[in-house]
Amino acid sequence: MRTEIPAKLRQILEPASIVEDETELLVYECDGLPLFKHKPDIVVFPATTEQVAQIVRVANEYRIPFLPRGAGTGLSGGALAAEGGILIELQRMNRILTIDVENRFAVVQPGVVNLHISQAAAPHGLYYAPDPSSQMSCSIGGNVAENSGGPHCLKYGMTTNHILAIEAVTAEGEIIRLGNPAGEMIGMDLIGAIVGSEGTFAIVTEITVRLLPKPQAVKTMLAAFHSVEECSQTVSDVIAAGIVPSAMEFVDAKTIEAVEASVYKAGYPHDAVAALLIEVDGFGEGLDETARAIVEICRRNNAYEVRVAKDDDERARLWLGRKGAFGAMGRLAPDMITMDAVIPRTRLPEVLAAIDRMSGRYGLAVANVFHAGDGNLHPLILFDSRYPDQVDKILGMSEEIMKLCVAVGGSLSGEHGIGYEKKDFMDLVFSEPDLDTMMRVKRVFNPTGLLNPAKIFPTRRGCTEIGKHGTTSTAEIGKRVEAVLLGSPAGRGRYAEGAPDEG
Amino acid sequence: MDEDRRPSAGAPSNDGSALSPQGEGLIDGIPLAKVVRPESIEDLSEIIANEKGSIVPLGARTQTYFGNPLRNADCVIDLSSLRRITEYNPADLTVHVQAGVTLGQLQQALIENNQFLPLDPWNGPNATMGGIAAANAQGPFRAVGTIRDWIIGMKVVEVTGRISKAGGRVVKNVTGYDLHKLYTGSIGTLAIIAEVSLKLRAKFGRTATSIAKAADVSSAAQLVASVRHSAIEPVACEWVGPENEIWVRLGEHPSAVDWQLKNLPPADWTILEGREESAAWERLRSRYDRLAPIVLRIVGLPISAHEIIKEYRPPAWIAHAVNGVVLAEVRTAADIWRVREKYRAVIERAPLEIRRNLPSFGLNDAEYNLMNKMKEAFDPGGRLNPGRHVDGERNQ
Repeated sequence: MRTEIPAKLRQILEPASIVEDETELLVYECDGLPLFKHKPDIVVFPATTEQVAQIVRVANEYRIPFLPRGAGTGLSGGALAAEGGILIELQRMNRILTIDVENRFAVVQPGVVNLHISQAAAPHGLYYAPDPSSQMSCSIGGNVAENSGGPHCLKYGMTTNHILAIEAVTAEGEIIRLGNPAGEMIGMDLIGAIVGSEGTFAIVTEITVRLLPKPQAVKTMLAAFHSVEECSQTVSDVIAAGIVPSAMEFVDAKTIEAVEASVYKAGYPHDAVAALLIEVDGFGEGLDETARAIVEICRRNNAYEVRVAKDDDERARLWLGRKGAFGAMGRLAPDMITMDAVIPRTRLPEVLAAIDRMSGRYGLAVANVFHAGDGNLHPLILFDSRYPDQVDKILGMSEEIMKLCVAVGGSLSGEHGIGYEKKDFMDLVFSEPDLDTMMRVKRVFNPTGLLNPAKIFPTRRGCTEIGKHGTTSTAEIGKRVEAVLLGSPAGRGRYAEGAPDEG
Repeated sequence: MDEDRRPSAGAPSNDGSALSPQGEGLIDGIPLAKVVRPESIEDLSEIIANEKGSIVPLGARTQTYFGNPLRNADCVIDLSSLRRITEYNPADLTVHVQAGVTLGQLQQALIENNQFLPLDPWNGPNATMGGIAAANAQGPFRAVGTIRDWIIGMKVVEVTGRISKAGGRVVKNVTGYDLHKLYTGSIGTLAIIAEVSLKLRAKFGRTATSIAKAADVSSAAQLVASVRHSAIEPVACEWVGPENEIWVRLGEHPSAVDWQLKNLPPADWTILEGREESAAWERLRSRYDRLAPIVLRIVGLPISAHEIIKEYRPPAWIAHAVNGVVLAEVRTAADIWRVREKYRAVIERAPLEIRRNLPSFGLNDAEYNLMNKMKEAFDPGGRLNPGRHVDGERNQ
């Protein structure tokens, strides 16, 4: 990086808001996906939108890459400084600016932690619906970038369904405001395009989110099954009965084993092959009947145990097992990778059976804990990175799982994003014209390609179509990815030891 | 009534037969000389690839009055033959439809499985899914979402004839950019929507509509406020003026609807269910059709319907009362200017001369610049539905 750049940035920010020290920079070399690491050249902590805009203009002036980062909990490498440059860390822009109770919206800065919005709205009987499992640490700016989901998006929709307006800094450093608190889209849905663009269209600096009234009542139940098929059939039957559950989560035997051996012990039945955590919410009236109908469907599908939580404590315990499942995997293996793929929910039994067969073939244990209601799978491949052959195998197996999900009509990611991790698999779902059109739209927002480069698009496309502007590390990273994807020894890397984040 | 400003009655192309655009083969005074009707998406792609002039996509033509005026129409593409529901997976709550499938046709197919799409745009059941998406058409169900909330993927034909897709076929998906969001509301000026994938929901266990008439604007406003402050959650809440009727629609588990009916704020409510209920909403739809000559969609804060109505005193209106969106009947261009001094306002329907002189969307600079660049990126020659969207916004 040219030496004038830090000096320029010091004109915008106080010294305490700039990190240049090589050791300190290590903190920012990856996000929640530590497989891919690359240090930014410099990290800055702006406090205002104006500062963000000025930083972006400096990056443009010197033609160096830049990207935003929130809490760094993302699981697809979206906040990886793949080509170095300036990492714009938004954690200090963490104020809740407005809670408008009458109009049911909140205006927040991007560094605000997801759960803090609901906490601030709670005294008014309101909450922010999208609830990624990392909601205690992930930032709303990151949620907007990734279009994050969570267990309850089965009923309430993803982040994109809850963003009413944004202020953003464009890739060229201009401050723009889009949308309105009524959520009325005027002309084309630009906000809809920006949400989920994984930080490649603009840096969102202020967000107006919709707040919902808290449901009057909630019922949570757990059903245990002796077979995956019966468990999956229950999911389909609940949907077919016209019930709209707020969440329908699947946990398998492996997951139960891990959870029950951990601090997240939730009292899940030890001998279950699969269990469903089902939640319904809404008006108090009618909810008991709905819960009874669900219990009946579970029984009809041979659930051998159905437990309806009697109070909030029991509810919380049932959820503890589900939400702690990822952390609990440490009981079973030192390493794991968290996959994220979507399939039509009716294909669950066959896909899970196929994954089970793969598990046998590769000799790698797989735990399944996921959002069954919307077919959003999270196979957790357990391994031990001290054995290099296991590392090679997981790469092959994860690729096979992705191909399988796409083959049954599904998609690469339900909520974690493509980022750096899956960009070279985009060809599985999208044709050349599809990707070319997406690239065209990217160029409208990000004409120089300097904003968060080397994401979403297959590597060769990124190089040829956006143009080379990066450092020599681009080539290194490219080689590493190739190596990883091809499973050669050069690509061996350690995945997360327990995933810090998942949907 | 001016031919240019009103939708043609019914859906003339719905049966795939005669084409009678706004009566006389005109849209915005532009004659529709050459009309082609592709039978498949590949057909559509080929037609577009071979056309060198301007291209105008048409569905059921219930919304040809919406948007900025059309400039020319070398080739009109009537999409009414693309009316196949290509795949419906009730257990997955997804459906994939060609652009020419009408909303009514779709709902009819879904009802067999007790499912539906919670959309009730004013242009009615004859409107096509492609058209509804292209115009982002809405109705009272806006309280529970608009089409953007239900679309999970799209296949489009670009100006070169190239077919491309975005999104996917599953209910939850973050793979690639959500270009289907951009196409929604773009009136076919970026690309022509050929197929739409939608997620669905189970039909409400029961619906009921309560209607109360308030004495005047301020007591109507009070009633709306008490609905908002109550524990009920309407799936539609309309304030119809000048009668000052408040329409509250409830949709949920039957017991929850009962409970909500009992907990409505005090007023002289008439409760409608079943056929009576659907007939009433059908009447409201024709009420919307009678708003004339200009319908302005005024956007405020969710609670500002009262303020808007009080300030501009439109002769007639339908407000999405809990969303802060007022569909106001206004008379002149000056009225539009006056509203736009304070609020965002989209012209939903207006005579040609008004739309010639005033931008339909009233975009701010940021929106205008981005949309303009988007148009340039997709259709540099300006051949798709020329003039109708951002390309007709600032050259009056």
